[in-house]
Amino acid sequence: MGRTWASMDEFEAFLDDGGTVEVDDEMPDDYRQAVFAFIEMHANSELMGGLTERDWIPRTPGLRHKMAVLAKTQDEIGHGHLLYMVAADMGLKTRREMLEDLFAGRSKFHNVFHYRAATWGDQVAISFLVDAAALASQQAVFKNCSYGPYRRILKRIIAEEGFHMRMGEERMMLIAEGTDFQQVMFQQSLNNWWWPALQLFGPDSKPDDVLLRWHIKSERNEVLRARWVQKFAPMLISYGFTIPDPGLVHDAEADTWTAGPIDWEPLKRTLAMGGPDSARRIGEAAANWADTRWVREAMDNAPDRAAGAPA
Amino acid sequence: MTSIPTVEAVRAAVATVDDPEYPGISIVDLGLLESVEVRPDGDVVVGLVPTFSGCPALAMIAEDVHAAVAAVGGVTGPRVDIRWLSGPVWTVERLTGTARRTMAEEFTVAVRIGAGPVPCPRCGGDTAEESMFGPSRCRAVHVCHSCTEVVEVMRA
Repeated sequence: MGRTWASMDEFEAFLDDGGTVEVDDEMPDDYRQAVFAFIEMHANSELMGGLTERDWIPRTPGLRHKMAVLAKTQDEIGHGHLLYMVAADMGLKTRREMLEDLFAGRSKFHNVFHYRAATWGDQVAISFLVDAAALASQQAVFKNCSYGPYRRILKRIIAEEGFHMRMGEERMMLIAEGTDFQQVMFQQSLNNWWWPALQLFGPDSKPDDVLLRWHIKSERNEVLRARWVQKFAPMLISYGFTIPDPGLVHDAEADTWTAGPIDWEPLKRTLAMGGPDSARRIGEAAANWADTRWVREAMDNAPDRAAGAPA
Repeated sequence: MTSIPTVEAVRAAVATVDDPEYPGISIVDLGLLESVEVRPDGDVVVGLVPTFSGCPALAMIAEDVHAAVAAVGGVTGPRVDIRWLSGPVWTVERLTGTARRTMAEEFTVAVRIGAGPVPCPRCGGDTAEESMFGPSRCRAVHVCHSCTEVVEVMRA
């Protein structure tokens, strides 16, 4: 049977001691809600990311990268699947309700999936910059996450995302050493994706952020963001590209790179489903869900399922 | 002057390579290493079997094995040929006990061997299949009846 806590103070002391909460524990409602919302957004983002990846299977150049995109699509959809299961187990929404909310534009997913990937250069920028930002955020959660079922799933997700990162790095180096046309294309993609990738970390964490207080994530947004700039700005510059941030400062003595002022309006627009590609993306995801209904019905009605296994 | 590497040294080098999707699990424990041949001139041929022929990590694994083996055998290093073999076919029986333990303990991943229910790596209870495929073609998704854990199950 699950554990109970007499008060929020007692529960928070348990978390501060490094305690792990399991699904059958009588956790405080606010904690349950915060963890659930976090996992739901992660699940939605995996699904929306997987659908974008899928669109690029026929367009990806070369068999090797095509195979990788094919496998990455399965990875992302599979991650979404695992996360929806963990989220549904928390008892606040069923998987179907979460999907219906997503397709109706009522629930959130990461800002980067509110933009359109128009060229292969965009896909390379996503698999290099955006995946790195997402991985850094996930690692910060995994390191010390107080909700056990989520932390255990994250361990596997992170191992696979690390593999995607290596593919992204390889693609970026190929394009960086490619023709003039490829380099111009990638610079354009960098101009389009640098800021959304950086904004993925979110604004500076508030002092009273419950995600930090309840050890759901273990690092502040601004720390993760700064580390990402520190890694990618010099790397891209060394390949001959320009970072589209006129306020970027390099302290030569300390060898630190600091981003200029950040305009958070684009992030706010995406969270309100008003991003440049939000409507099309959500519409496509909803259409995909409707188009595949016959598959779910066939699965639900398969003889061994109809006998009582969960559908 | 170069000395000819021993088969054991090459095997040990291959064993330092982890699976890209399972950090901490050696590809030798995963059963990918089939053969090592050291020719009289010092050239090395490593034969590997893929878990699935469409696995997207094959090129990356081959690169990692190449780098590890090329570092064996002194200053100039042997010439190394990494081959993906079309047979024997990889099965879950090729996983060592170490690989199975690490998967269960570190990644909550079970391995399906033979018929019957797959036990939950967390509590030992029976699991039921939720989906034939998970994030990869070599893994299914199960749910534990006892502790409700979401479990991935590796299968041939």
